[in-house]
Amino acid sequence: MKILAIIFSVFILCIAPFFGQVSLDLASVLDTKSMQHKIFFDIRLPRVVLAFLVGGILALGGLIFQIVFRNPMSTPFTLGVASGATLFTAIAIVLGFTTSVPLFAFVGAMSTVLILFSVTLRLSHHDSSSLLLIGIALSFFYSASLMLMFYLSNLQESYEIMRFTMGSLDIVGFGSIPILVFCAVLLLLVIYTYDYEVKLLLTSYEFAYLKGINVKKTTYILLFTVSVAVGVAVSFTGPIGFVGLIIPHILKSIYKVSADRLIYPIFFYGGVFLVLSDLLGRNITSHTDIPIGVVTSFLGAPFFIYLLLRSHKV
Amino acid sequence: MPLKITNFSNAILYNISFSLPQGHNLILLGSNGVGKTTLAKILSGMIPSDSVDIDGISPSTTFGHSRAKSINYVPPVLEIFDSFISVKAFLTLSCIEPVCNIEEVLNQVGILHLSPKLCHTLSSGESQLVLIASALLHQANYTIFDEPTANLDPQKIQSIFSLLQKSLPSKSKIIITHHLDLAYQLGFDILFLAHGKIAFYGSSADFFEPLHLETLYQGAVIKENHYIRVNL
Repeated sequence: MKILAIIFSVFILCIAPFFGQVSLDLASVLDTKSMQHKIFFDIRLPRVVLAFLVGGILALGGLIFQIVFRNPMSTPFTLGVASGATLFTAIAIVLGFTTSVPLFAFVGAMSTVLILFSVTLRLSHHDSSSLLLIGIALSFFYSASLMLMFYLSNLQESYEIMRFTMGSLDIVGFGSIPILVFCAVLLLLVIYTYDYEVKLLLTSYEFAYLKGINVKKTTYILLFTVSVAVGVAVSFTGPIGFVGLIIPHILKSIYKVSADRLIYPIFFYGGVFLVLSDLLGRNITSHTDIPIGVVTSFLGAPFFIYLLLRSHKV
Repeated sequence: MPLKITNFSNAILYNISFSLPQGHNLILLGSNGVGKTTLAKILSGMIPSDSVDIDGISPSTTFGHSRAKSINYVPPVLEIFDSFISVKAFLTLSCIEPVCNIEEVLNQVGILHLSPKLCHTLSSGESQLVLIASALLHQANYTIFDEPTANLDPQKIQSIFSLLQKSLPSKSKIIITHHLDLAYQLGFDILFLAHGKIAFYGSSADFFEPLHLETLYQGAVIKENHYIRVNL
């Protein structure tokens, strides 16, 4: 089962760049002077790499948030990171800075993280549910502000904002890839460095504390790293929901091992899931791409409910 | 170096001061809600306070091996977030030294057969034994056991009694319990909390004097032929 899944995933990753509105074949792709070569290396390949990295970051970010907040529904999106990015994108569009959208989105995501941390530092003691509630309050505040932006924008701007909220993997060239690779490596490296602490956090906060761990510092470092990585990812692609929520749950119910042993599989399959969703989104209709956020939810929700039903049979 | 708490007060505890030399054991008694668990969490640093000093360190501001080595708290129930952690994996995490003989401790506690089981599938008695095994592996200078016999059947109480009596011989054990007969048979010094204050701190023999029991428990507890029982 696991080996089949790996073979299938690698197969998907290999064939993904070849399919889309223009089907490509290997021979023409290898011909450096052809249009197909250009499509493959400038559009399709960067897109697949982008999807893989963003999927991996979102899935792993979801897992870390679920561990830290002790809540199976929490993801970086729950804390308002994505809403912050969306709001700042809307501001950029309304103010006419359309070329700086990624920068604005990143500032939006990171300022949310900074607000969150400055508020939690004022809390008398570490309390993950307060942090979660503050995140939810921020999300509502951002939604209201986004409504205001919609109200203030013209038809064209409204459409652009709407399009960003649906998520998109459209990129040209490898320009944005290095920074995403950096974020993904940073995230994996931090989790690898804090491997012992993460294992202890999987038992209970008290138990981790009694083994000498500085629980507050550890959870803040983990949350901050995830937020930076997700903030960067969202700034390039818009908010792509559901990956961070379902991939950790799906892998746990398939592998049936503790989460510390699922770090790399969750990153890998998160990436594969987004590549597969994008592949379907690009090929279901012949004339247009279906927004990636729509595909991830259409694919993920039924499978997720099926798995829940299977593991909680009456 | 002793464990020392000096002039600690909060919402439920008032002016708590006592010290316990390393190697000495203590039983913490008192009615429900009097603050026994709160006191345990203060001593182990989980509730921040600068009134506690163990081996020269303040447990709420010190991190790392030295704090872990000085004090450990064993909760009344085994709580584990990840449902796929096995007993063996949990006990591996319990060990704070580079080398630990998990199998030997499992044998000593009599739960070798539980090793591959998932912690989430254990019964309350099994969980309690796993918690004790975890404390034996941790080997802190001071270990607080919070109600280790709550909700257990008589045989389990018997085995936990003998573990509490014999294990960690050179270390200090602080046991919170409502099981007065267990407290009496263990014979450790007693600290009795009432109305947020230390109402008694002394030897087991003095505490279990029939007249003293009568004043503290208003006739609810009686001593009979070297046994303590609830007067029903």
